[in-house]
This record gives sequence, C-alpha cells and structure tokens, in this order.
Amino acid sequence: MRKMRKPLLVMASLCLVFATLLAGCSKSGDTNKPDPGTAKNEGQQQKNNNTTANNTDGKWVLGEKPLEFSAYAHYNNTDFPKWESTPIGKYLSEEKQVKINMIAAAGAHTQKLSAMMASDELPDMIWTDRDHPDIDRLYQAGKLVPYDDYLDKYPNLKTWMGDLNLLRHDDGKLYRFPNWYSSNPFGNAGYVINKKIYDELGKPKLETTDDLYDYLVKVKEKYGDSIVPFEPHRAQDMQGLGVLYTAFGEGALYTHLSSGLRAVPKDGKLTSILTDPVFREAQKYIAKLYREKLISQDAFNQTEDQVLERVMTGRVAVFAGASPTDFAGEAQAELTKTDPDGGYFMIWPIHKPGLDKNKIYPGTYTSFGWNAAYITTAAKDPEAIFAFLDWYTGPEGMNVQFFGPEGKNWQGFDEEGKPNFTENYDPKEVAEIQSKNNPVMFVGNTSYIDPAKYKYMANLPFEEQDWRTRYQQTITWPTQYNVTEFTGLNPAAESEEGIIQASVDEMFLEIYAKSVMAGSDEEVDKILDQGQKDLVSLGYDRLLEWRTAKWQENLAKMNKK
Amino acid sequence: MPQATTEQPRPPAYRQLKAHNKSLIRRLGKQWDVQLMVIPGIILVFIFSYLPMYGVLTGFMDYNLFTGANIWENPWVGFKHFVAFFNAPEFERLIRNTIIISLLKFVIGFPAPIILALMLNEVRHMMFKRVIQTITYLPHFLSWVIVAGLTMAMLSTENGSVNMILQQVGAIDEPINFLSLKQYFWSILISVNVWKEVGFASIVYLAAIASVDPHLYEAADIDGASKFKQIYLITLPSIIPVVIIFMILAIGGLLNAGFEDILLLAANPVLRPVSDVIDTYVYRVGLGTHRYSYAIAIGLFKAIISVGMLTMANYLARRSGNSLW
Amino acid sequence: MLKRISLSDKIVIVVIYILLSLLAFSALYPFWNAIAVSLNVGVDTAKGGITFWPRQFTWENYEIILQDSRLIDGFLISVARVIVGTVSSIFMTALLAFGMTRTYLIGRGYYMVFFVFTMYFSGGLIPTYLLNRSLGLMDSFLVFIIPSLISVWNMIIFRTFFKTLPAGLEESANIDGCSTWGVFFRIVLPLSGPVIATLALLTAVGHWNDWFLPSIYITNEKLLPIQTILRQTLNANIVTGQSAVLDSASAALLQKTKQITSKSLTMAMMIVVTMPIILVYPFLQKYFVKGVLVGSLKE
Repeated sequence: MRKMRKPLLVMASLCLVFATLLAGCSKSGDTNKPDPGTAKNEGQQQKNNNTTANNTDGKWVLGEKPLEFSAYAHYNNTDFPKWESTPIGKYLSEEKQVKINMIAAAGAHTQKLSAMMASDELPDMIWTDRDHPDIDRLYQAGKLVPYDDYLDKYPNLKTWMGDLNLLRHDDGKLYRFPNWYSSNPFGNAGYVINKKIYDELGKPKLETTDDLYDYLVKVKEKYGDSIVPFEPHRAQDMQGLGVLYTAFGEGALYTHLSSGLRAVPKDGKLTSILTDPVFREAQKYIAKLYREKLISQDAFNQTEDQVLERVMTGRVAVFAGASPTDFAGEAQAELTKTDPDGGYFMIWPIHKPGLDKNKIYPGTYTSFGWNAAYITTAAKDPEAIFAFLDWYTGPEGMNVQFFGPEGKNWQGFDEEGKPNFTENYDPKEVAEIQSKNNPVMFVGNTSYIDPAKYKYMANLPFEEQDWRTRYQQTITWPTQYNVTEFTGLNPAAESEEGIIQASVDEMFLEIYAKSVMAGSDEEVDKILDQGQKDLVSLGYDRLLEWRTAKWQENLAKMNKK
Repeated sequence: MPQATTEQPRPPAYRQLKAHNKSLIRRLGKQWDVQLMVIPGIILVFIFSYLPMYGVLTGFMDYNLFTGANIWENPWVGFKHFVAFFNAPEFERLIRNTIIISLLKFVIGFPAPIILALMLNEVRHMMFKRVIQTITYLPHFLSWVIVAGLTMAMLSTENGSVNMILQQVGAIDEPINFLSLKQYFWSILISVNVWKEVGFASIVYLAAIASVDPHLYEAADIDGASKFKQIYLITLPSIIPVVIIFMILAIGGLLNAGFEDILLLAANPVLRPVSDVIDTYVYRVGLGTHRYSYAIAIGLFKAIISVGMLTMANYLARRSGNSLW
Repeated sequence: MLKRISLSDKIVIVVIYILLSLLAFSALYPFWNAIAVSLNVGVDTAKGGITFWPRQFTWENYEIILQDSRLIDGFLISVARVIVGTVSSIFMTALLAFGMTRTYLIGRGYYMVFFVFTMYFSGGLIPTYLLNRSLGLMDSFLVFIIPSLISVWNMIIFRTFFKTLPAGLEESANIDGCSTWGVFFRIVLPLSGPVIATLALLTAVGHWNDWFLPSIYITNEKLLPIQTILRQTLNANIVTGQSAVLDSASAALLQKTKQITSKSLTMAMMIVVTMPIILVYPFLQKYFVKGVLVGSLKE
C-alpha cells in the first residue's frame, strides 16, 4: 500500500508545477500576442503584392510578380491538400511565385466558415457549390467580389464558358467562377449488366421495362438469394431508382426528383411530382420489383461499402445509378483477371414499350459543371486572383495541370489549340500528375481538356482504353440531358420558401421510400395521394410557384442570347 | 422586520445591514483559504461560459453572422423561431421520439455499466479481469460511422450474419429487413449503444467500487453471506452516492437522445417516424440549411426543459442525502 | 483466509465469466477486423469477406498514412495536449471540488447553481469563438488548455467521491495543525487514487479525440494535433465529384490511388489514431486496486 502513495504524491506535485507553469504561460501569451488572430502574416505579404500590383496598371501576368492568397474548400469531406504537395503547386510556387495558403476545416466546415464570417476573417477564395446557402449569405452581406470588370481583360473564362448569364446573381453581376463547365454532354448515369449472368441466361433482349422485369425474374429463379437481381446503389439518394423513373416517359428526367427541382414541368409551369402519371407508373413498377425481391432489399439502408462489395464480387445482375461505371469499372478489372469473359457491360437505357428509346435520358448535366470558385472582399488584390484563375482555366493552365509543365510530356499547340504530345510522353507520370493535381483543380475547363485528352486517347488501341471510356462516346454521353435551365432554383435558406423547401425535402424522401416499399399498386397510389396532401399543407404549391417564376426567368435569359 | 424595530429600537435597519455585511466580510476573511480554492474556478467558468452567454439572445433575433459580437444590430423577432419550431410538422414526433429513445437509453443504458462493474468486481482472476476491462472499453473508440457500418452489414438481408443465424436455427424462413422496419429500430439502436459505451461508462463505477473497504467483504465472507447478498448489502450501498449523482445528471440530459448514432443507423427515411429526434432535426434543418437563430432557439428550448427536469430530479434525490445542490 | 464457496456462488461466478467473455469477444472483434482490413490490399478489401486475417497482406496503407512528415509534430502536440491538459484540468477541478465539499463555504449553494447552469446553457459557437479570439487564443497551444481547465461534470464527480471520505481523517489532520490546503494535498488527493485515475482517463481521452477545436482555432500547421492532421489528409484524398472528370486513361492507371482511399486506408488511420490512447488504460488500471483507502488509513 505504501507503494501507492508515491506516484500519487508525485502526480499531485506535478499538478502544482504545471499550475504555476501555466499561470506563467498564459500571462506571457497575453502580452506577447495581443491579437494574433488578426495579424495574419499572409495578409501582410498580400499588402506587398497589392502595392506592386497597383504600381503598374497593366495586366497581371503569371510569374511577373509574387501572388499569395488563401483558399478554402467549403465541404464536409474535402480539404485542399497543401499547395506545395501537388505537382502544379510545387511548380507554380517555385517557378511562378504563386503561393496558395490552404485553409482546412477537417470536417467542421459549417462552423469554420461561420466563425470566419462572424470575425470577418474570410479566406480570399472560397470553393463550394454553386447554390450554397453560405455563399448566398456572403453575397447578401456584400462580401463577394464581382468578376465583371475583369472578364474582358482576362478572356479565358468568357471564351471557354460562353454564355455566363445564368451564372449571374440577382444584381446582374457575376460572382461564380464555374468548375468543370462544359458545352458538351458528360456524365455516366445508366445501367450496367453482369456479363457472366447475361450469357448464362442466353443473352435475352434487354430494351424495355418488360424485358427488364422478365430478366430480373429469370435471375431470381436461377440464382436465388446468391445474386441481387437489381442493385440501385444508395436509394436514399434515389440513384438507380431514379434512373428507372426516366424509363417511363420521354423526357422524364432524373432532375425532376432532385431536391433542386422536385417538380415536373408542364406547359410552362412546374407541377407536383407526386401527381405526375409518369412518376406514379414508375413507382408502381419499382414497388413491384421491390415487393418481389428483385431489388436489393437493403436498398434504403446500405452503405457504399456494401454496394461496392457486391459489385466487386459479381453478385449483382443489373446495377443502375448516377455513375455506376465508377464501381463497375473497378470491378471489371478485378473480375476479368480470373474470368476474361466475365465483368460488366453497359446497355442502352431501358424504356417503357411504345416510347422512343432515343428520348430516354437516365442522366442529366449542366453546362456549369460541378461547383464554383468565389473571391471574397478579404482579398487584397482580387484582380490578380481572378487573373490567376483565368490562366488556370485556360489552355496553358489546364495542360500544366493535366500533363505537367510544358516541355516534358507536351510542347506547343496544334492548329486546333490542343497540346502537341511529345515522344517523351510518359503515361505513368501523367497519371500521377493528374491524380495529385486533381484536388486543386479549382476551375476545370471540360470544354478544352476533354478534346485534348481524347487526342491522346484516340491513338491508343481499343483494349488499352479504359472500360469506362468505351461507353461514354457510344452510350452515356448521348443519353445525358442538359438541364441548365433548372439551375439556381433554390430559395434562400432563411426565406419562407427556403423553410418550405427544407420541410418538403424532408417529407418527400419519406414518401418516396414508403411508396417503394408499398404492398400493392393501390397502396402506392394511396401513399402518393396522402403524400401530395401533406406536401401541399407544408406549402409545396408556393414553392412550385416560386420555382416556376425563377425557371421562366432562366429561360428568358437563355433565349436572350 | 417591523417587529424587530419595535422591540429593539437601537440598531436602525441600515446599521443592522452594515453589521451583517461586516460579519460576512469577516466570515469570508476567516475562510479565505477555502474561498481561494473555488474562486479560480468561478473566474474561469465566468470567463469561458458566462461571457459568451449573450449568444442565447440570438435565438430571439434574426441573427446575421456578419454582425459578429455586435448582436444588438440584429432585429428582435421575439419568439418567432420558437413558434416556428412548435409549429413544424415534425414537432410532435420529434418530442415523442426524443423522450422515448432517451428514456430507453436511460432505463437500459444506465444500469448496464453498473452491472458490468459489479460483475467485474466478482472476478478474482486479476489477469482475466484486466483483459476484460481493457477490451470492453475498446468500442468507445470506434467512430459511429464504423459501428453503423458493422451493424448494417450484420443486419443485412443479403449475407447478414444475424439473418443467416436466425435462418439456420429455423427461427425465420425469410431474411428480415431489420433496418427498414420500424418495430426493430429502437431495440437495435439501444443495443448498439449499450454495447458501445458500457465498458467505458463502467470505469467510474469501478473506481467507486475500488474505494469500498475490503474488510467489509471479509467480514461478510466469514458470516457466510452469498455473493448476491454481499453485492446487495455492501457494494451497492457503497456506490449509491455516485449512482444517484449520475442518475440526476442523466435525467437532466434526457433530451439528448443521441445524434450521430441515429443519423447513421436510421439511414432509411421510412424510419423517420420513429427515429427523428430533436438533435437530428436540428442537424438537418438547422445546420444543414444554416438557420443559425433557429438552431439556437431549439437549443434554448432544450436547455430550459433539461434544467426543469434536473431540478426535479435533484429535489427528489435530496431525500437520499445525495443531491447536486 | 478460508473461503467457503457455496454452490450457488459457483454458478454465479461461472455465469459471470461466460457473460464477460462473450461481451469481450464482441467488443474485440471489430478491432481485430479493423486491423485485418488495414493490413489488406485496398482493392481486395472491397470484395468484402475479411474477418480475422488479411487476405492479401500489405503495409501499404500504413505507409501512406505515416509518410506525412507532419505526423510526428502532430503526435507530439497531441501528447503535450493530453498531458498538460489533463494534469492541469484535473488539478484545478479537484481543487474546486474540494472547496465545494466544505459545508461552511459561504455561497456554496449559489456557486453550485452557477456551475450547473453552464452544463445546459451555452452561448453557442460564435460568441465562444469571438471570445477566445479576443483573448489571444487563436493559433495558440493554450486554446487546448485554458478554456477546459474546469469541467463542471468532473467537479461534480470529484465532489461526490470526496464526500465519501471518512470525516474523521480530516478532523485529526486539523488537530495536527493541517490547513485546509494541507488537508487537500496530504489527505484528500492521496486517498483519491481511483477517482483521479478515472477522471484523468476520461479527460485524456477527450483531449486526445478532439479534432474540432484545432480545426476551428488553429491555422499554424505546427500546432495541429494528430487527429486533425489525419482528418485533413483523408479529406484531401477524397475529392468528391472531382475524380469523375479525370482523364480516363489515367484513371485506369490510377486504380491504385483510388483503391487506397478505401476502407483499408480508413481503418489503418483509425488504428493509428486510437492505439496510443487505448494503451493508456492498462497502465492506469493499477490505480483501481482495492484497498488504497484502507492502506493509507492504517498508517
């Protein structure tokens, strides 16, 4: 027992020592640093840049003067890596004096940005979704820098993006620098079929919803519980089930179901999705599949890992989703290792008998691409940042990001403006450059880089092409629909419509899941009827009205050009 | 007071007060050493908890983040956010689920670590005891994402181990889709919770049991008291003060039904009628759509109810001689 | 000493051993599985079915995590935070709790209400952030320490334990000329081994696991603890939506990079982060040994 006392006494005395130490620390901390929060060293350096930039009133040119700014990815599960840890960042900071200080939220993005807003210490550049409520806040508070004055001076965005009108805010100014904007269709939504099972079942016709049903029944009969006939990926996001909806109407779009629209356009008005006959027919079909256990019973409560596991081991017969090629592409490589005839292939989108199969669109895209970069008023020299982003999105910038600095893998441009690939082109090195630069491609330019990539790809024999790309040209891209007209239909979060939208979104998911699990066609109707009533009582009609007006504005803007 | 002045007219009221003050200061002076022990704590809590407390007022405003600490610039909206919450279509079920889930967690989750600690206490084999103690404490360190992933895999209708076992035993013919049927959700949620936290929560009780005088057990052994009797007559009474304090605190926390566990395990929206609680709602509607004032107002509502329940629990506990204040 | 163990007691003990073993097995399995998964090739992991042993063994996942040069600094910061934060908070809180057990303490009731109130009402993130900022705690190690010096929860538990100490001890100490502080240091602290060990453990775990505070208050990389660094690393590897536009030819070559941002990598990270703090517990267990109190009493 005596032994016990010593460590405790030591601990107690340690406490005391630390306590006194601490008192000392806190005092010195207070006097030495009156307010380190505001004294950001980057700010001072920026001031320097600023003065130099203002001295010459010419254009900002990459590499002429040092540029330093802070950048922040406003996402829950995405942070920018350290600038210098990426090949492009290393090159630009060493050769071109461009230094970017990455601010990371490590998952606390909502709180981080709120704190930065409240203390008015915004990052110079914010990178997030186009319609993010926080961006709306910054806009309302006048904290965003409009790009209009720079657009002509630095013309890459204007050249490659084309019409910028729909990207503008209410005041007619442009604050968004889009990322991965494109004039061509892109996207991978559709159906992937397990080749081995398909062959074993005698390669039946798979074109209409009836074909699909018969096929799934056959799969169930032959393989029982060991194979999931139809895997819709994560059904909470609607994914594969949404793809099935598009089979039931010409021009029925996945976007109709999404939170940003949740309506069906009819005669220039947005109407309730729940009363839409196409949607009802689709839900009855889906409910039938679910009831007969042709759809994964875990559809609404499975993790990505579980889906991936099934696809990787070839335990699904049909796999549909917003981008089924991601998983299937990985599985393809694995499955063909042991069985060269195995793996997956894509089919032309399923349609209801009687419909035109060329008017079925399982996926959608917008010309604006994915998200956007914003410059805040915290930036000391917003013009330089914009000019940099514009260089970054231009041909030279894109090529450096994708193929490394000029000279090694590429040299100069051909007559179409695409890069000339050199003898020394090293596919492995290029692959690594791309993957490492990928997280800091803030303002990707799909319009430019896709043809450039295919210039190289076209030289490859078919077998060396990636499984994923084989279907892009022939199936997925032609069957994706441009829904640019439906962008920007989200009301401000704190407005009345915004509050309605939040509760409509809540309720809709519940109704959707319930109707999939309904026991009969009548029950589907009953659930949807009741759902419609509930949504209307939440103010769904009002939201639709608001969205109709916005949508019409969009159409007007688009027709103006 | 008036009586006092008539009976003893000499010391006027203010003098009495002064004398009282004087004696208070004198009394404080006498116990300066004890006061010195609590004053640093009071100052720290004042600075770090009370100074930012003005933030609760933003629940009565339309708070604009850019005003920062100058909250007075924001418009007062009275009880707008509270009314909006009470009128939310989900309100009733939120309250109901919150109460039911947290009551279940309390009724089952509260005694579980005590029982575990008592069981561990009966283990004479020191090595075994230590190993078990260490292992049962492990799940606390698993993130809910991992735990939920494991649970979903276990309960899956396709190759989920639970369904496979049940089918082999012959208890069911068809796999049960546990995670999309409302009737199973609460049991699943509570079991997983208890499993995850029981070992970690038992540490405090182990510490309490460790402070029991071993002579008592020796005496009981000699008297031939059975294990149950010893637990009932010696161990339990010795740890009862700790148990009661924890119980009071747990009752005060009854509106915290959990958050991440529910969010992840109730992935299927069909379960919302039984799974949606205040905190998951605030996460989705308040933070998800960034209604700052709304979230603050709901938090305030919760705090008021919690303090009410805490006070009640404390009042009841006073009889046992163990209370918070 | 002779022990008479009755049959019913024997049954009770056997049942207890069985139950404990079952619980321990169920608690151990996820960790064992996580270790197996973290030592498996990522792409193979995606096929599922890994239970007790890795199927395709590799150190790759750990190599990727540990190659980050910031990790060593992060680890040291974490350790420093746990030690300084725990010791100072336990000391300050215990001192406060002891003061609060003195029945003659003037204002005791008010103080208690004052403290308990803060367990339920808080000003929220923004006011707290602005306060810490104006106190100069931004980008300072002290932000980990000072705001959490007093834990009201721990104070209540300390107080409860202190109350169970025999009153006679103190009286005799007082007679021996011990001041109140003397009683605290010489009698109360040494007799409170189990509760100090418990609360120190809980506090240390809290400090170790916290990634939130640094991600809000710290921008200086040198001050980031390991948890936050690893979260950032993982976040920088998963770029949602972004990879879809990668050059598809490269995407094929890059399967390697894709597979590692998978379950195997996440599990490896989890193991790296949790192991150090998990290993603290067995060392603290000796403070839970019975008889501490009695042993000291006899002296």
